[in-house]
Amino acid sequence: MMTGKGLIFIFLMLIGSYVSSQNKQLLFGFNDIPQSVLINPSTSLDNDWFVGIPLLSHVHLGFGSSGVSAFDLFADDGRDFNDKLGSVIFQLEPNDFFMATQQLDVFSGGFAFGRGIEKDRYLSFGMYLETDIIAYHPKDYAILAYEGNASNIGRPFDISDFNVSGEMISVWHVGITKNVNEKFTLGARAKIYSSIFNVSSTNNKGTFITQEGQNNLLIHTFDIDFSYYSSGIKSLADDNNSDLSNDIKTLRRRLLFGGNLGLGLDFGFTYRPSDQLTVEASLLDLGFIRHAKDLDNYAVNGSYIYEGINPLFPEVPDGQTAEDYWNEVADNFEELFEVDSTATKYTTWRPTKLNAAVRYSFGKQVSKDCNCLAEDGRYLNAIGAQLFAIRRPKAPQIALTAYYYRRIFNGLQLKATYTMDSFSFTNVGLGMSADLGPLNLYLLADNVLEYQNLAKSRSASVQFGLNLVFGTGQ
Amino acid sequence: MLKGKSICIVCFFISILAITSCVKDVDFEQAENLTLTPVVASSVVYTDVEASRFSENGMELEVVRDSIANIEIFTEQFVIDNLVRTELILEATNTINRTFGLQVDFLDDSETLLDTLTFEAQPSADGNEVITETTEVYENERLEALKQTTKLVITLMLFPSTDGSTLNENSTGRIILKSKGLFYLNVSL
Repeated sequence: MMTGKGLIFIFLMLIGSYVSSQNKQLLFGFNDIPQSVLINPSTSLDNDWFVGIPLLSHVHLGFGSSGVSAFDLFADDGRDFNDKLGSVIFQLEPNDFFMATQQLDVFSGGFAFGRGIEKDRYLSFGMYLETDIIAYHPKDYAILAYEGNASNIGRPFDISDFNVSGEMISVWHVGITKNVNEKFTLGARAKIYSSIFNVSSTNNKGTFITQEGQNNLLIHTFDIDFSYYSSGIKSLADDNNSDLSNDIKTLRRRLLFGGNLGLGLDFGFTYRPSDQLTVEASLLDLGFIRHAKDLDNYAVNGSYIYEGINPLFPEVPDGQTAEDYWNEVADNFEELFEVDSTATKYTTWRPTKLNAAVRYSFGKQVSKDCNCLAEDGRYLNAIGAQLFAIRRPKAPQIALTAYYYRRIFNGLQLKATYTMDSFSFTNVGLGMSADLGPLNLYLLADNVLEYQNLAKSRSASVQFGLNLVFGTGQ
Repeated sequence: MLKGKSICIVCFFISILAITSCVKDVDFEQAENLTLTPVVASSVVYTDVEASRFSENGMELEVVRDSIANIEIFTEQFVIDNLVRTELILEATNTINRTFGLQVDFLDDSETLLDTLTFEAQPSADGNEVITETTEVYENERLEALKQTTKLVITLMLFPSTDGSTLNENSTGRIILKSKGLFYLNVSL
């Protein structure tokens, strides 16, 4: 049985492990940035070829917390910390969550190709590291740890409130973008996932309840179906060598297909019914990882009703002694809370993401020569609306974004977004892509209004990168 | 010229983010003050004995006794470290016209008596339910005694009647005992 300290430790880990929005609303459709093709494989990149600066071509960091900010809990306001913790525990719902995400491009590149002068296809490829953690608020566990069951007679504690998953993976990918005709572009990307580690406890069920009893003052009913799966952690945690180099070797092997493997696909399309109107959508990470190596799983399973010890006094005929009764109770509890350690292989599904947008472009560049609209000039402005959804253990998370895109001049583009999501209704993002010769540099940050004090922010994400891009604007 | 301008804009953008981004007015060390004070409620012992069972071969049983050994819960390190108060709540429902005494002895591994709890269930003159309740509080030395307890001896005593009558196989009524414990924890990191 988990000790109180264990529970507190887990709870603090959850509070501490803030998470980010995986929504890349700023990058989606921003085709001046090569990595936009990772958000929609049908996005036509505006270049002949590019190569990402290794380890710097795409860095994404983010966190998010749907119901609480660090400030709510840790504000230096003189209030008692335990009171604040109490109000956070009760204020948050079990569907509130904390999440963190990280992505790092190790290498990336791409080039246009095709028969004839019009290169109608684009191949892009690369490898990146991704970390993704989500933990739901374990409300009933927290209330049990904070108040106990004495003041909660008749209240069921929901075992499913513990819902956590986390993973670090390396992703090798290759994708192709194809102009089918003037109006239609399709794209697809194949991915091989190599899992570095995974933890998953997302299918817990059951309740624990204390009620007024019949035979005794209280009756306790346990109905527990709890499971925790992990891969990739045991071998790193178990080896007693103080020598880190072995662990580093293990990790390096896992980056190179040595981990638990999985497959995934991205799909996307871009449709331009008119010169100014664009509809685009993508489905990312439609895939799974099969965990078969280095497993460490636990399960607690059973049901039991406890009313107390019933001494029937041996002097009274047919009595079972209290000793017998106690032993039976102890056995039952032991059986109930017995942690079964298994090495069952398991499959995790990647957090599949959906992006969709409608874009309207307007305002062509005015030619300096004739003071008229340049015939081939591109539109300088675009406004659009985007939808983002991501599959999550309990329910999908959804975000809506409105944006404005502006080409300031060739070589500098800006995008501003306004997003409503699980974290806030006032998420303003700013993004910029600049070309300095062949060097493309971009920086995208959302929730910029909160940067004055990140502690008050419930989510923030930053993406930046450096690429060498050739043949833009042709 | 364009390049110079865009570098300026980029630098401006980055510096705005860098300058304005900060984390302030928070004190993460507060977490060190974390103290959890849950109260765990648990059923303890219960019994339900019919009056006729206090008679054996025409003789009245004046004392019935039972014991539970190998109790590990009170001597768990977590309990020793974090249990700060215990209340035992006893409730007797008596429909027998006799006073019952309940005695619970707390013993350690070497059978040393650490603490004794006594409680009387009042008689029912007319066969109606007479409910007697008591709350025993364990703090300080008494709580320390509880934390060494590995064995309980539970004794139910039938006090002599005022009129000399005894219980026999045809006696009616029953004595019901119920109990629960409230365990106050104080867990600091």
